[in-house]
Amino acid sequence: MSMRTTLGFGLGLRSEYYQQILEQRPAVDWFEVISENYLVDGGKALYFLDAIKEHYPLVMHGVSLSIGGAHALDLDYLRRLRKLADRVRPQWVSDHLCWSRDSAHQLHDLLPLPFTEESLRHVAERVHVVQDILERPLVLENVSAYLQWKSSCMSESQFLARLSQMTGCELLLDVNNVYVSSRNQGFDPWQFILELPRERIRQIHLAGHSDYGQYLIDTHDAPIADPVWALYGKALSHLGPTATLIERDDHFPPLDELLAELEQARTLADQALSAEPCS
Amino acid sequence: MQLSALQQALQAYLAGASDRPPAELLEQLQGSAALGAADGLRIYHNAYRARLLAVLREDFPALQQWLGTESFEQLALAYLAAWPPRHFSLRWLGEKLPEFIAGYVAEPQLSPLRELATLEWAFTLAFDAADAEVLSAADMACLPAEDWVSLRSSLAPSVNWLQLQYNTLALWKAAKDGEPLPELIRLPDACSCLVWRHDLLCRYRSLEPDEATALRSFVGGESFSGLCAALLPHHGEQAPLQAAVWLRQWVSDGLLVRLKAGA
Repeated sequence: MSMRTTLGFGLGLRSEYYQQILEQRPAVDWFEVISENYLVDGGKALYFLDAIKEHYPLVMHGVSLSIGGAHALDLDYLRRLRKLADRVRPQWVSDHLCWSRDSAHQLHDLLPLPFTEESLRHVAERVHVVQDILERPLVLENVSAYLQWKSSCMSESQFLARLSQMTGCELLLDVNNVYVSSRNQGFDPWQFILELPRERIRQIHLAGHSDYGQYLIDTHDAPIADPVWALYGKALSHLGPTATLIERDDHFPPLDELLAELEQARTLADQALSAEPCS
Repeated sequence: MQLSALQQALQAYLAGASDRPPAELLEQLQGSAALGAADGLRIYHNAYRARLLAVLREDFPALQQWLGTESFEQLALAYLAAWPPRHFSLRWLGEKLPEFIAGYVAEPQLSPLRELATLEWAFTLAFDAADAEVLSAADMACLPAEDWVSLRSSLAPSVNWLQLQYNTLALWKAAKDGEPLPELIRLPDACSCLVWRHDLLCRYRSLEPDEATALRSFVGGESFSGLCAALLPHHGEQAPLQAAVWLRQWVSDGLLVRLKAGA
């Protein structure tokens, strides 16, 4: 089992809970903030960000980098991201292995790439630029996908493994996304996790999805589903202790419900990590 | 197909009105037993619209209540076709909606509709405008008497100054309170309305014409003593008192940032 220290168990910081977090200081080990929500000039979001960072470690998680986009990198965005990182002093900075825009227009979605040698070279070059600007390793997350490109010649996990080897970037394993994509595309989610270099996995995401019978949609609006919990437990046995975060982005429940879900993750992690390692 | 061509093809489909995928895009995709390629594409197509419409509904709730859900959605979709999102943050999505309305509807709807959209957008702007150290009552209490004469201020960065031709504030307030909207009325005279943020909360206030004139002059660079002098013709010997009353109100509202001497 890996002896590396981890941040423990965190929640996505959302404005619905700002006041309660400051007043009650819930037993959350850390919070993850959506970077774009704080790339603003002033106001409530930055006020609470500054206040909450006095009490909890923070991680910055972006949704607009478009690291796989064929367009030029948005250097203005990156400079602002760097400035925010200087203010927040996050434990790490993450975004997604995806594309989300062209040179002019934003799609505001996390679109899958064709996993080709061309994409790999393209993304690797851009990861180097981003890491130079941020002066830290970028952490990249696997996305939920509803389409796959015929031209792909490797799996997403093989792509991430090679990208990490080429650039030194780290990985955010979203267990729910693995499960959603595996159901939609018919692959083995455990194989996906085994293909990732476990020493590069900095963080895990857990979230809920919507089940449409034939396929799943990654909605972040419900409790974590049982098969995702099971996959998480198995992943932890394989990875060792890994910083874990629960995301909720809609149908916000009382904070206590998220804290209970976080407790469930802690219990499951204790069980998984005391059992024989899985391989 | 190269990466850029694949992305262009998918982008064109997602931003287009029809959810029927073109054959050349489908040829590039591999479906699965659980989710066919066309169905997968439709998930993204629907999600694009749903996400953007949700943002516009949130930023323009009164406009939606006035137009009704269906007409608002038509307006929003026409707007998104003309002004697809350009900024990395969805916070800026509605920026051009008031301007777009000018070309979308004709009078007599145009002016009141655009005015309501402008008012709602002013709240979005105020929400996360730059922070500033506004003049406080405590600052004023510490101000030496000789500094009162030369005191000069500008508006805080979050302040938006609107000229309203209609009872738009009443419409907006009714929508916010979940009440039926009052009848639209054109005001006899345009009314100044301020929208700003103070102590993290967005605020609004309409101004009577003489207060609006005084505030405009004061934040335009006039000193406090100049303001008193300007009020003399209308207010006579009450001018300094009236100026002080207004100044106290502006300070308590958190509207003013002090300009340093020489600025």
